[in-house]
Amino acid sequence: MKKILYIGIVLLFTCQFYSCDESFLETTATDTYNEANWWQNETQAVSAINGCYETLRGGQIGGTSNFSEENVTPNSYNMSGEIALATGSHTPGNFTDFMDKWNSNYEGIGRVNTLLDNIDRVQMDAGLNQRIKAEAYFLRALFYSNLVNYFSGVPLILESPNFDEHGSLPRNSREEVISQVLTDLNSAASALPVTYSGSEIGRATKGAAMALKTRVLLFESRWSEAAQAAKDVINMNNYDLFPDYRDLFLPENEGNEEVIFDVQYKVPEFSNSLDNLLEVQMNVAPLLDFVNSYQMIDGTSINESPLFDPANPFENRDPRLHKTVVVPGYMFRGGIVSDSKYFATGFGFKKYTTYKDDVVQTNILQSEINFIVLRYADILLMYAEAQNEASGSDASVYDAINKVRSRAGMPDITPGLSKEQMREVIRHERRIELVAEAVYYHDIRRWRIAEVVMNSNALNSKGEVVQVRSFRPASDYLWPIHEIIIQDNPALVQNPGY
Amino acid sequence: MKKIGLSNFPNFDGKQKLLLTMKLTLMLLLACFMQVSATVYSQATKLTFDAKNKRVEDVLRDIEDKSDFRFFYQREQVNVEQKINLNVTDKTVEEILQQLFVGQDVIFDVREDNLILIKTKNSSEGGNSDSFVKQQQKAVTGKITDSSGQPLPGVTVVIKGTTQGTVTDVDGIYSVNSESEDVLLFSFVGMTTQEITVGNQSVINITMEQESIGLEEIVTIGYGTQRKVNLTGSISSVNSEFIESRPMTNSTQALQGVNGIYVNQVGGQPGADNATIRIRGIGTLNNNDPLVLVDGIQYNLRDVNPNDIESISVLKDAASASIYGNRAANGVILITTKTGKVEKLKVELNSYFGVQQATYIPDMVTNSVDYMTVRNEASFNEGQPVPYSDEQINAFRTGTDPVMYPNTDWFGAVFSAAPMQDHNVRISGGTESVVYSMSLEYLNQEGIMLDTDAKKYSLNSNVIFKPSDKLEFGAIISGSYWDRNESYEGSENVMERAARSLPIQPNFKAENGNYADVRLVTPGHNAFYHPVAIATEGSQNNKTQRVMVNFFTQYIFPLDIKYKVNFAVNKYDAYNHKFIPTTLLYKPEDPENTRQIGKRSRSVEQTNSNSMNTSFFQTLNWSKKVADRHNINLLLGFSMESFYSSNFDGYIEGFLGNELTELNAGTINMDVGGTSYESKLMSYFGRANYSYADKYLLEFNFRYDGSSRFAENNRWGFFPSVSAGWRVNEEAFMQNVQSINNLKIRVSWGQLGNQNISLYSFLNNININQGTSFNNNVVAGSAVTALSDVNISWETSTITNIGLDVGLFDSKLDFTVDVFDKKTTDILARINVPGQVGNLSGPITNLYSMSNKGFEIGASHRNSIREFTYTLGANIAYVDNNVDFLDGDIQFETNRFGNISVIKEGFPVNSWYLYESLGLFQTVAEVENSAFQHAKTSPGDIKYRDFNEDGVIDINDMRVMGRSVPKYTYSFNLNFDYKGFDLGALFQGVQGIDIYPWHNVSWPVYNGAGITKEHFANYWTPENTDAKYPRMSLYKRGSGINSLNSTFWLKDASYLRLKNLQLGYTLPTELSNKINSSKIRVYVNAQNFLTFSKYNVTDPEKDILQEDIFNYPSTKIFTAGFNITF
Repeated sequence: MKKILYIGIVLLFTCQFYSCDESFLETTATDTYNEANWWQNETQAVSAINGCYETLRGGQIGGTSNFSEENVTPNSYNMSGEIALATGSHTPGNFTDFMDKWNSNYEGIGRVNTLLDNIDRVQMDAGLNQRIKAEAYFLRALFYSNLVNYFSGVPLILESPNFDEHGSLPRNSREEVISQVLTDLNSAASALPVTYSGSEIGRATKGAAMALKTRVLLFESRWSEAAQAAKDVINMNNYDLFPDYRDLFLPENEGNEEVIFDVQYKVPEFSNSLDNLLEVQMNVAPLLDFVNSYQMIDGTSINESPLFDPANPFENRDPRLHKTVVVPGYMFRGGIVSDSKYFATGFGFKKYTTYKDDVVQTNILQSEINFIVLRYADILLMYAEAQNEASGSDASVYDAINKVRSRAGMPDITPGLSKEQMREVIRHERRIELVAEAVYYHDIRRWRIAEVVMNSNALNSKGEVVQVRSFRPASDYLWPIHEIIIQDNPALVQNPGY
Repeated sequence: MKKIGLSNFPNFDGKQKLLLTMKLTLMLLLACFMQVSATVYSQATKLTFDAKNKRVEDVLRDIEDKSDFRFFYQREQVNVEQKINLNVTDKTVEEILQQLFVGQDVIFDVREDNLILIKTKNSSEGGNSDSFVKQQQKAVTGKITDSSGQPLPGVTVVIKGTTQGTVTDVDGIYSVNSESEDVLLFSFVGMTTQEITVGNQSVINITMEQESIGLEEIVTIGYGTQRKVNLTGSISSVNSEFIESRPMTNSTQALQGVNGIYVNQVGGQPGADNATIRIRGIGTLNNNDPLVLVDGIQYNLRDVNPNDIESISVLKDAASASIYGNRAANGVILITTKTGKVEKLKVELNSYFGVQQATYIPDMVTNSVDYMTVRNEASFNEGQPVPYSDEQINAFRTGTDPVMYPNTDWFGAVFSAAPMQDHNVRISGGTESVVYSMSLEYLNQEGIMLDTDAKKYSLNSNVIFKPSDKLEFGAIISGSYWDRNESYEGSENVMERAARSLPIQPNFKAENGNYADVRLVTPGHNAFYHPVAIATEGSQNNKTQRVMVNFFTQYIFPLDIKYKVNFAVNKYDAYNHKFIPTTLLYKPEDPENTRQIGKRSRSVEQTNSNSMNTSFFQTLNWSKKVADRHNINLLLGFSMESFYSSNFDGYIEGFLGNELTELNAGTINMDVGGTSYESKLMSYFGRANYSYADKYLLEFNFRYDGSSRFAENNRWGFFPSVSAGWRVNEEAFMQNVQSINNLKIRVSWGQLGNQNISLYSFLNNININQGTSFNNNVVAGSAVTALSDVNISWETSTITNIGLDVGLFDSKLDFTVDVFDKKTTDILARINVPGQVGNLSGPITNLYSMSNKGFEIGASHRNSIREFTYTLGANIAYVDNNVDFLDGDIQFETNRFGNISVIKEGFPVNSWYLYESLGLFQTVAEVENSAFQHAKTSPGDIKYRDFNEDGVIDINDMRVMGRSVPKYTYSFNLNFDYKGFDLGALFQGVQGIDIYPWHNVSWPVYNGAGITKEHFANYWTPENTDAKYPRMSLYKRGSGINSLNSTFWLKDASYLRLKNLQLGYTLPTELSNKINSSKIRVYVNAQNFLTFSKYNVTDPEKDILQEDIFNYPSTKIFTAGFNITF
């Protein structure tokens, strides 16, 4: 008996010692794929393109960060953020958005490039393959055009991220990047569907690619091409202005006929905090200059119109005022707004909150309102601007701008304007129509008016100075590349003036 | 008069020493395998002899050499001069004795302690062994005890100048015949010999005092034990006596004061053990935590009841740690828990009650007018409009309403003194066939922060059975249960909220449950996060339970080969439940105008996480003494371990109020998540010891580890070590040097590994949590988010160690010196990857190497002067950390102000990388004549050094400017005993470390926060140019002129702290006996009572690399308690 026990123990020990199955050490991740078991089926390919869209939410395209850049325009003010940039105190090291903007767009670019390099390995429907690639081209163009808007030329990388090959690439010229953006947009437009249905709505469409192309060309001042591109979008006859300017920005009307491309949000998984930002934090607060820039209902400015009553300054104004701005003494969230409620400037942004004027609502902390990147009114205004610059204020220019005004409930613009007068009218219209849509900051820089409008004091509703602003024309039309980015890749040359 | 002979008196060691050391160190393994009853041992021990024509006495002596047996006989009764022939194989001692004394009418009485009495049959007619000694003439009797009052068996009692004498029995009782002029010699190995003249006494009770305890100590080593004198590696050990000398709130504190260990105990949150433990510096940028094994099983210190700790061994060098291979690079801490002894049922009670208070709370300006003035000044200096009008400031100056015009002290509102109590019961005892020890602990600790607390319940049961002479088995079952509460945002957030709050914010809760909001607006502080509301509203409850079952069996094969197998399961379950409430702030001037505190919806978040680790290991151990001088010990082992974790979490919103807080009470927006992961280790290990005449010691260890954390062809690593020792004091030429009783030189070399990186790091993983939504439908999304290096492997640390142990004057004075060179190569680090490469996290790769060179010196002195006994101990460790190789690269760490620390060749790891401050600008001319810093730089701002002299201060002017790893760590302890009183003190210190504090409180009015009184009184103004701090400016929201990472804010974080001070009193035995107690001790204790440091932004004992101050504050704890033993 004892001997059997001995033998048993010896066997157990020696077995363990000499011949133990090494498969014991094989473990596999049960919640993540890896390259060995990826790019194998259609579902994976679809999820890969979805992962590219994910970066849009990250803050630098459709999130709160772009939105907050309104605070570096004469439209609004943030007492807690964007201060360095608004007051001209920024350096290549003291504003982290300089780094975040760069990195998050390259994050999207890296994902798109990875997808484009690998998707042809996947056995899948050829049409879907083409569409996904086209979506990827659109997104890559969006990311690169966004980078150019802030930094001008950036390293142009079109392959899967590779540390050795891409880590030390210098900047390409602005033209090279823009050229690639346009190539990508043409590829995208040729393969993308005009519309989607059901749970595909929100993906890049043919119209989105064409609309973005319009914007890129416009921002490059390639006027006639831009006008043509805008016309192409208009001629698709796929978009129209949504009847009401306020309702256009409410969650129940997401994806309406005016929306060309938006960044999608969904509570609770992928929510944004715009409601909280605007109603509680007051991180984007309208300034007096902006509120005063709303015309009277008769189409003239408050300085010109007999309708203006300094005792009731917010009466008889462009209806978009009360659809955009919360004004003390008026109804919002089911009550009359008090003077102290909007503590930052006295005004609040209504646009992009989800509250109603006449419904009592407690604070909403998470919102799923989509952030519109491109919409039809913008196309009309871009057409007007491009056409006016290219060939002067012809009838089509009036037509485009009046469409936008008439939806807002404003009279047509005075006929017979010169190109220069028309330019001012269009600029005003863009400011009012597209406020808080992450466009105006680019507008004042490409129009080269930032050195005027940003070298001023920001005033609250009572006319008190809340911020002393400064803009250095020699440097501030472009952002600096963050010093840490250059430290990581010394081949990058800093923008002038920094 | 019959005389008795004491067999082999000078070599009367072995068993007695072991017994003694058990008293001193109470090793689990010893207890398991050595403190076997004599019967078991005598049956289990098989001896082989081939003796020709030898005297019986010599054979007995040989047996004593080969075994733990001792013989005791009277020459008058037993003929030991007789010469015999003996040829036996694998016989028990009794069988051999029967052959030896064949024909003699003797019997053998095998006693408790392996003492074998050999006597004639008629002498034992009394039926027990005591009659054997009682036969003698006129008896003097007495009881021998040790200093703790425990009876000492086996003490030799002889009449001086004769060979007459006896030994004490199990109860420490002796009886000896003597005459009044005789002098009795009481001796016991390891204890001071005492001489007493009999006189007319018939009862002589003796308390034996320990001597040279260090030398005979047995210390736990990897998979075994070793006599301290025979160690060749570098091991620090502490025993229960050291541990019991202070009350502890957690087990990490038991490591404080141990030579070569740096314990950084961060914060005093109940139930959170945020200590950092470092052995020989920082060896990697990955996990630097040492491997902690409790009774051989990987475990968590937090869940060990400090009262259960019997001893701790810290394996510091490669020689001692390489048997743990791939997990040992940061050192190994072996904890042995208490086990039972063969003794009567013993019950120990241990309780204390205490009160805690914060060691350091920032002293903020709580006067609103002062705050508003200074905040206005900051905006003014930035050229921006001031936030507070004169009218508003005046209103605060004259206003008295505490809601409208508050002057709130927020730290005062959030922190207060808090009570705690801890109770322990231990029941232990045993017989020859079973020993047991069971303990229960209950800890109830309130936190100094509002609504934080923890309760802990733990039990430990240790039972060992010895059913036969060859077999023994047992189980240790231990469990602990923690129940903790804190704010739904977590304590650190409450701390941050308190640090961010302003005196102008009211601390007022209205009857309807709403809190008063601040009336004024502060830029940077758009929303008021009411610290008290966040601390007290809502809830976060955390319950964790850990159960370990550890079975072990040992079987002794022929040839004395010991086979041991261990199987343990360590199961951990954690439950965390958070209720995020809706809490409203109202405008004092308009109570209907409310808004919610915080950005989160009313919701519940619940997480369950589990882990189960299983360990299986088996060892074969064989030791042999050859030709009297050659000692050989071999160990071979195999182990398999697996570590499995899983978690599950749920989230829901849509609660109808703050009343119901379960997941089921929510209605909308549910979200779930969960995963599991597993890692495994398979290992072969072994050790060979050889010693010659106890003089020359040689040891070889190895471990061959396979780890699932690496790709298949990088999986297996071999970690060898070799060490040698020379006990110089054993040499003949040292025998005349009386003052040196121990002198040993140790040398070791070996390699260790560190495999502690995240799982599956070698794979290019596709992150599938990159989803998005389309048309309000959530869709799956995926992306690669990190680069990876398929070839990664473990980090290797090569340690060379030279040590010297010196014991002087019977070890009244002991020194240990270790000099080490620890080189870590292939350190796994994430490479900085430029953002343009897809903004991917860099690959973790075997990147760089660094070295930690240094020394550790320990000294102790113990002595007694009459009834006054004292012990003094001191340790100091010096580590010089240096990054040796980085392939010319530099790895930066950044915060929102740019670079902050760096890994760079030739500098300590994570050195602070900063601008150098040259003080403050005093004049406009000075600004103009210096390098350009910022358009807004003015007198009163910090002046930075233009290192590259290009006339511009930019990133190229940053340099390595300080260290974040300490150079020196030291501790010293003092213990005094006098007539039942004991006083103990433990100091701990750190020297040569810098800290870079920033954020709220560290910087004035940072991001809308307040200002400390110290800063308020010391900032630069044109009138106060000799100021300590720069002029007021905006550190985050603004130019940030003064918030560049610079040496101006770098602080020396060295400190010396009285960690523990204790005064105790042990009641006289007569008093304690009245309630049938053998010992009653009462004590008072203070933890963290005194701190000396130049650093005054927070408590200096903090996480150095965490630059903000939002740790839960450290606490001073004052306790009073008692120990009672029945």
